[in-house]
Amino acid sequence: MNPLETRGPARILLWTALALALLLYGFPFLHLLLTSFKTPLEAIAVPPNVLPSVWTLENYVSALTRQGVDAALINSVVTALISTALSLVFAVPAAYAITRFRTPSGRVFILAALVTRMVPTIAVGAPLVEVMRNLGLTDTSFGLALAHTTISLPLSIWLMASFFEAVPDELSEAAQVDGCSRLQAMTRVVLPVVSGGLAVTAIFAFLASWNEFLFSLLLTSVRAQTTPVVIANFQSQFGLDWGGMTALAAVYSVPVIILTLFLQRHIVAGLTMGAVKG
Amino acid sequence: MPATSSTAAGAASAAPAAAGKAPGIGRRERGDRRFALLLMLPAALFLAAFVLWPLARFVYDSFFEISPFAGSARTFVGFDNYVAAFTSEAFTSASVRTLVYTLFVVAMEFVLGLAVALLFTALGRRSTVFRTLFMYPLMIAPVVAGLLWRFLLIDNFGIVNELLFRAGLLASPDQIQWLSNPNLALFSVAIPDIWLTTSFITLVLFAGLQNIPGEVIEAARIDGARYPRILLSIIIPLLRPVIAVALIVRGIDAARAFDVILIQTDGGPQGSTTTLTLLIYRTMTRFGEPGLASAMGTVYLLAMLAVSIVAILLIWRPGAGER
Repeated sequence: MNPLETRGPARILLWTALALALLLYGFPFLHLLLTSFKTPLEAIAVPPNVLPSVWTLENYVSALTRQGVDAALINSVVTALISTALSLVFAVPAAYAITRFRTPSGRVFILAALVTRMVPTIAVGAPLVEVMRNLGLTDTSFGLALAHTTISLPLSIWLMASFFEAVPDELSEAAQVDGCSRLQAMTRVVLPVVSGGLAVTAIFAFLASWNEFLFSLLLTSVRAQTTPVVIANFQSQFGLDWGGMTALAAVYSVPVIILTLFLQRHIVAGLTMGAVKG
Repeated sequence: MPATSSTAAGAASAAPAAAGKAPGIGRRERGDRRFALLLMLPAALFLAAFVLWPLARFVYDSFFEISPFAGSARTFVGFDNYVAAFTSEAFTSASVRTLVYTLFVVAMEFVLGLAVALLFTALGRRSTVFRTLFMYPLMIAPVVAGLLWRFLLIDNFGIVNELLFRAGLLASPDQIQWLSNPNLALFSVAIPDIWLTTSFITLVLFAGLQNIPGEVIEAARIDGARYPRILLSIIIPLLRPVIAVALIVRGIDAARAFDVILIQTDGGPQGSTTTLTLLIYRTMTRFGEPGLASAMGTVYLLAMLAVSIVAILLIWRPGAGER
């Protein structure tokens, strides 16, 4: 038992504090969900109500049938899937090389990847507009996925490197003695061992793309626009449709939250890994 | 895959011997190196093409005066854009705002994050379910968080003021002008950012707390030290490396905040929430001055790189944690 754990009657006080903290922390999103079930008029009523007086799906119907919303949701899924695939394809071999062979070039590379993570997004996004134009990828999901990969790749390399780090070198050495090539030792022996880490990395890469806004704003206009930009446009394009906005925001967030709750153990591992190991 | 693993593990003891006997260790090592380079090459090429090259273009553009229309003339102007940036009030005040915003976010997240991490530790294993619940904002898009908080804080029908009013803390529901008071707005727009990612600090610090050796705390307690003293003289110093990493990661993200602010105030009122990214974005797209925007962005980029390199050297270096 951790010596910082408290015993005795003080625990009741602590549980109360936790319940209060959670209520405060959860209330904003709860309010968003409750508002999404109000009528559009009640959503902006003065003074606001906490609970809907009439429960209705009106906001969901109006938000989801709005022009461009269905396309934006599909674009978000497609872009995030492409970007996740790209991140894994690039990150897995690189992270394996860095941890398995520990060459000086590997050390330089992982530090460079770390520095990439600290670059202001706008300094990459602005010139990418022209790069994408030259490649003929303006306003395409693939072009946007490439841009999102600049964010998720360094993160994926770091995550995968920490998962590979946990695998003893003897495993791949033994595989090679048994007649595997270097490549087979990686793909057939080590990779199956880190499949959990692969899943975590995939989730983080997916989320990085799913929630990204600035690149989407700069690089897409009509065809490939993703949902965050459409949500942001709700205010200007349609007046202040708070009801519809809360409904679309709920549609966009709830699947991700459910996914998180299912995979929480792995995600916590992924989030804390790099930081705690130092 | 248990079959493969056990075979591989069984052969593991034989591996070093076989490697030691081989005459061409040098050759094997060279092969290893070539293989490692080959594996890193795709990722390296990707980052070179889609990060380094754009960055180089960005810095290069900062030395030109560029018309915003595609394909029109550009004139080399040397450091003129930098002079213009540093002499513009907009740039200096946006830099100050970015700094204030970042420090505020990081400080709040640290205090709240540590408090909750200590609470979870005090409650022990039973708190697992709540730790999960606490994590959900991390998955929400910043745009959604920004809009949500704008909705909560909006002057005439925001629920926050309404609840404060009903609780008797405010004299009227529009007493606090969260997002329209220029002196307050920079701190109000930070709330969604804090709400979204305090959990990250909590998770990292919680993991760090589990690694503190129990004997140290027991010993301090036997010596009669009370909780605040244990916290300040033992827990925080021991957690220093973990705290540093968490705060740097969050600080860098906070300094780049864009969507959260854009959605809530669009940089207003009276420019009071225009941070560097917003200013650069606007200089580029709305004011049509890509050259000036690139110069501002380059200064911003260099500052961020300097901070992160110093941070990496100070903190990530093994053994730098203890003094």
